[in-house]
This record gives sequence, structure tokens and C-alpha cells, in this order.
Amino acid sequence: MSFRRTGIVAARVLRQLWHDKRALVITLLVPSLAMILFGFSFSGEIRGIRIVVLDEDQTDLTTSITGNLEADPVFRVAVIHNAGADLEAWLLKKGYRAAIRFPAKFTSLYYAHFAMGVATSAQGRIDLLLDESDPQIAAAVQKGLADALLNVGEGGPVEIEKKDLYGVPVRFIDSFAPAIMGLVVAFACTMLTLMSVVREKVDGTFARVWVSPVRRAEFILGYVAAFSLLALVQSFLVFAIGKAVFNIVVNGSLFWAFLSVILFAVGSVGLGTLLSALARTESQAIVFFPMIMLPSVLLSGMMWPVQAIPGLLRPISYVVPLTYSNRLLRAVMVKGLAPWQEPVGLAGVLVFVFLTIVLASLVLRQSGQE
Amino acid sequence: MAEVVVETRGLTKVFGRVRAVDGVDLRVERGEIYGLVGPSGAGKTTLIRMVCGLSRPTAGKALLLGRGIPEERRAVEARLGYMPQERAVYRDLSVEENVHFFGRIYGMGRAEVDRRLKELLALMQMPSLRRQRADRLSGGERQRLSLACALVHDAELLILDEPTIGLDPALRIHFWDHFHALNGRGRTILLTTHYLEEAERCTRVGMMRAGRLVAVGSPAELKARVREQNPAFAERAPTIEEAFLHMTGSAVGGLR
Repeated sequence: MSFRRTGIVAARVLRQLWHDKRALVITLLVPSLAMILFGFSFSGEIRGIRIVVLDEDQTDLTTSITGNLEADPVFRVAVIHNAGADLEAWLLKKGYRAAIRFPAKFTSLYYAHFAMGVATSAQGRIDLLLDESDPQIAAAVQKGLADALLNVGEGGPVEIEKKDLYGVPVRFIDSFAPAIMGLVVAFACTMLTLMSVVREKVDGTFARVWVSPVRRAEFILGYVAAFSLLALVQSFLVFAIGKAVFNIVVNGSLFWAFLSVILFAVGSVGLGTLLSALARTESQAIVFFPMIMLPSVLLSGMMWPVQAIPGLLRPISYVVPLTYSNRLLRAVMVKGLAPWQEPVGLAGVLVFVFLTIVLASLVLRQSGQE
Repeated sequence: MAEVVVETRGLTKVFGRVRAVDGVDLRVERGEIYGLVGPSGAGKTTLIRMVCGLSRPTAGKALLLGRGIPEERRAVEARLGYMPQERAVYRDLSVEENVHFFGRIYGMGRAEVDRRLKELLALMQMPSLRRQRADRLSGGERQRLSLACALVHDAELLILDEPTIGLDPALRIHFWDHFHALNGRGRTILLTTHYLEEAERCTRVGMMRAGRLVAVGSPAELKARVREQNPAFAERAPTIEEAFLHMTGSAVGGLR
């Protein structure tokens, strides 16, 4: 055992790292990124849930409760007064997570409870229409509403009549399963495509194919077709285990669910091809692993709602593709909607597919002719 | 005059401060076995890559079967068989799967590739390795597989970058016999090699040094030219190695 030789080996390894500047930069970037993302993500509280308040009573009391809601950073409140407004539409079409309705006689019933010093059966009643597709958001809404009702006056207890928008209580696992589907697909398709394309370049098969009659589009679509099939199998496994072991609730159509997964897989293959332009060797490609995994797991609304992600990181959430896949797949699987009824999620995924495939095609041309 | 199948005019490639290929005028005629000969770093591979449309020239022009490269590459790609210098095969596919892939992207049917595969395996002296994965092959075997992949669609023009590198001498001779057989069937071959003795078996040789094509001719012509100009060879003809040394050494430029 010689310290000298050990030292020489160690020096050589460090020298190799030093020469691979790209890998070096990413090696140093990853821990910083990991700490920032984990730190902020776990310290985050839910903020900015969009709720709508329909005040048909318009008294000091309802104004005061609404004021409490508005003062709570958990909520972003829209107040409307037109009696009989279609609150379901606000949730389904405009993306509000909850609707609170003060019926016309709310205040009088509220104070009537202790009429003449005796408790009566009269009771103020609030209607709460809740989008329960994200259990954490649903819980935050109910807690926030209960807080807003504390210390508002001398009346009796308020009855909250909760109605679930989709008619079923949703557990964490139910909304987690669609996210897992998206995550495995994003990860497998992006990384496998990236590794295979980089390998083709390193080995020279890419040059061979480039000189052959195979077109760029055919090359990309070949990868897309193969990995879409893989994505289908993967998401089916997630679904089957979710159903069999955890008995996940699936309200929507599986056809749309799997179609959404495939659509997302196409974008992920595009992303993998795109990233292949940034990696010259397979070891450089491997460092993309945490760069994709960390933001996807932490910032896509998978573990906690996007509303719980601090403002500083929120913009990243909006560029993480999985954020949109999560919205889309949860809409389809948990809410039982058709993809076009979740326009933000669908548009996000479509933009992702379009951008990555177009850019991938451009970078391939670049790689084909150095 | 025979049809020119590969032509470059003032083809130049500059990487940073290095002129890897420097104003090369190459003409390969139909039916030739044209050997680009030169030491490592002479610019052979870079020249080949530009001719195949894999690298954009800094200056100059390349024509393949009369079409401008890379703009009109699509028109001629099916008529070209290319073997890159790396042992460019899919490591995780078997020998037969590799040959099938490359045959089928050139439009061959399954049965047709199968027939061809048998011939190629016999030619490469590796019939028992049909189902072997490429990453389990030896370096020389993988080299042969790579060549088989370039030959599978029987293209009229073969561009082979160092096809015999790393092969044992017996196999190299065997390969060269095959190149001559292909040539006899009208196939044109442009290849690179740094084995000078292989230059002897080409119909024409282009000698490269430091990015420039310094001498072109048949092996006999090149030797004769050196002999004429050099009193040292009054008694005996130079070997191709000696001719090369004279042309790329003190004689650079004068013999272009």
C-alpha cells in the first residue's frame, strides 16, 4: 500500500473532472440546486388559492367574513354579488378551487340563534362548493374558512354545507397516482432518449444513419414511437398497481388518461433529444438526471400544490413540464373531465410537445453537421 | 472521360486555428479504388466527412455523384455506402440485428437482407457470430461487422474510412480481394488508410499531409515520378513507402 500511488490515482481522477468542465459545473450546481429546491419547497405554505365568494346577503357580517378571507394570504378572493351565479362554472371553467356562498338570509339566521338570550334552532348556513381533486388544497380551504368565521360576532355556530365538486372524497394517493404516471414517463423517456442519442453520436451510428435515407423527422418519430409504447406500459403498471394495491379512485376515462400520458411521452422524447445536443459524452448526459428529477418531483405540484411553492420558485413550477401533465392527468383521472376541460394543462403539454420536437429537430441538424 | 463520382473543389475545413483540410481538389472517377493515404491527422477523415455531408466545409465545394453536398445530399444518399472510422454499430444489438437495421433503412426487404447477411457473414469469416451481441465481439470482429453494415445494400459508391484498421494481415488481404471483386462488378470505392502497402492495391492514390493533397496518381505513376526526380533511385524503383516519404517530405508542393 503506497500513499504516493494512491495520491497519484486521486490526482488523476480530479484532473479528469477538471478537464470535463461541463460535468464539473453541473456537479457543483446540483447540490446548490438541491438545497435551494428542497429548502424552499418544504418551508412553503399554501398561498394564493383562488376562491370565489358569492355574497347574496351583503351585510356587515358577510363583509367582515369576506374581509377575513381576503386578509388571509392562503386565498386570492374574488367577490361577486349576482344571486344565482353558476358557481360550478367558476370552478370548472375558470379554475377556482372553491366557491363560498352566503345565502340571502344568512345574517338574520346567524343572529337569530341566540334570540332573546336562548339558543334556538335557527342557524347561519354557508354553502361551500369544493374542488377536492387536490386534498391538500381542499383541507387548506376548509381550515381557512373556519378561521375566517372565528370571532366575527355574537351569533351562533355557522353550519358549513360542503358539496364536493366531483362527488367523491379524494385521498392523497388518488391525486398522487396520476403524478407518478407523469413522473415515470417523463423520466424514462427523457433520460433513455438522451442516453441513446448521445450513445449513437459517441459510437458513430448517428453519422451512419445521418448519411442514410433516414430523415431527421423519421429519426425523431422512431424514438417517439418506441418510447410512447414504453410509456404506455409504464403508466399501465402504475395504474394497475395503484388500483390493485391502493385502490385508487379513477373517475374519468382511462382512454383519455393513457392518451394524455402518450402525449406527454412525446414531449419527453423531444426533450431528451434536445438535451443530447448539450452532452458530448454519456457521463455528461448522466448529470442531467438530477436536473430533471428534482424540479419535477418538488415543483410540479406532485408532492404539494403549486400554490404551496414560494413565490421565488413559482416561476420554475410554471416551466416544469410535469406541472401541466399533473394538471391534465388529475383532471382526467380524478375529476373525470375530458382533456379539453383542463385547457391550461392540455395547452401546457401541447406547447411542451411542440417546442421540444421542433427544437430537437433543429439541434439534430446541428449535430449532424458539426 | 469517365464519370466523376466524387469531386471536391478547394474544400477546406478550419477548426479554430488548425486547417484540418486545406483547399483539396479531389476527383474520383467511376470504377476506381481510390485510396486516400496519409498519416493520422493528415485530414483524411475530415475530408471524407465533408464529402458525406457530415461536416460543413469552411470553404470550397463537394459533389457526390454530381450533386452538391450537403444541399442535394438527399438525391444520392441511397446510392452511397458509408463506413465511419469508429466501429459504428449498435453495441446492444446482435450482428444480424445490426445488419438488418442498416439494410432495411435502405429499403431492402427482410428476406433480401437475410440472403445478403449470409453472404456477408461468410465474407467476413464470422458465420457463427450471427446472434452474438456486438459488445461481445472483439475489436476486429466489430470492425468487420461495421464494414458489413456499409456493404449490405450493395451501393454503387462505397466510402470507407479506415476499413482495415486493426485487422490481422490475413484478413486485410482477404478484404482487399473483396474490394477488387466489388470493383470488378463496377463499384467505385473511396477509402482511407494509413497502411502504405495498401496504397499499392488501389487503382489511384491521393497522398495527404497536413490537410493538403500533395500527390495523386496510380501507384506505378507515383513511383515512376519519384524515380525520375530522384537520383537515389537510379538503380531500383522506390517502394510506395519511399515514394510517399519523398512526396510528402522535401518534395511537397512541387509534385502537386
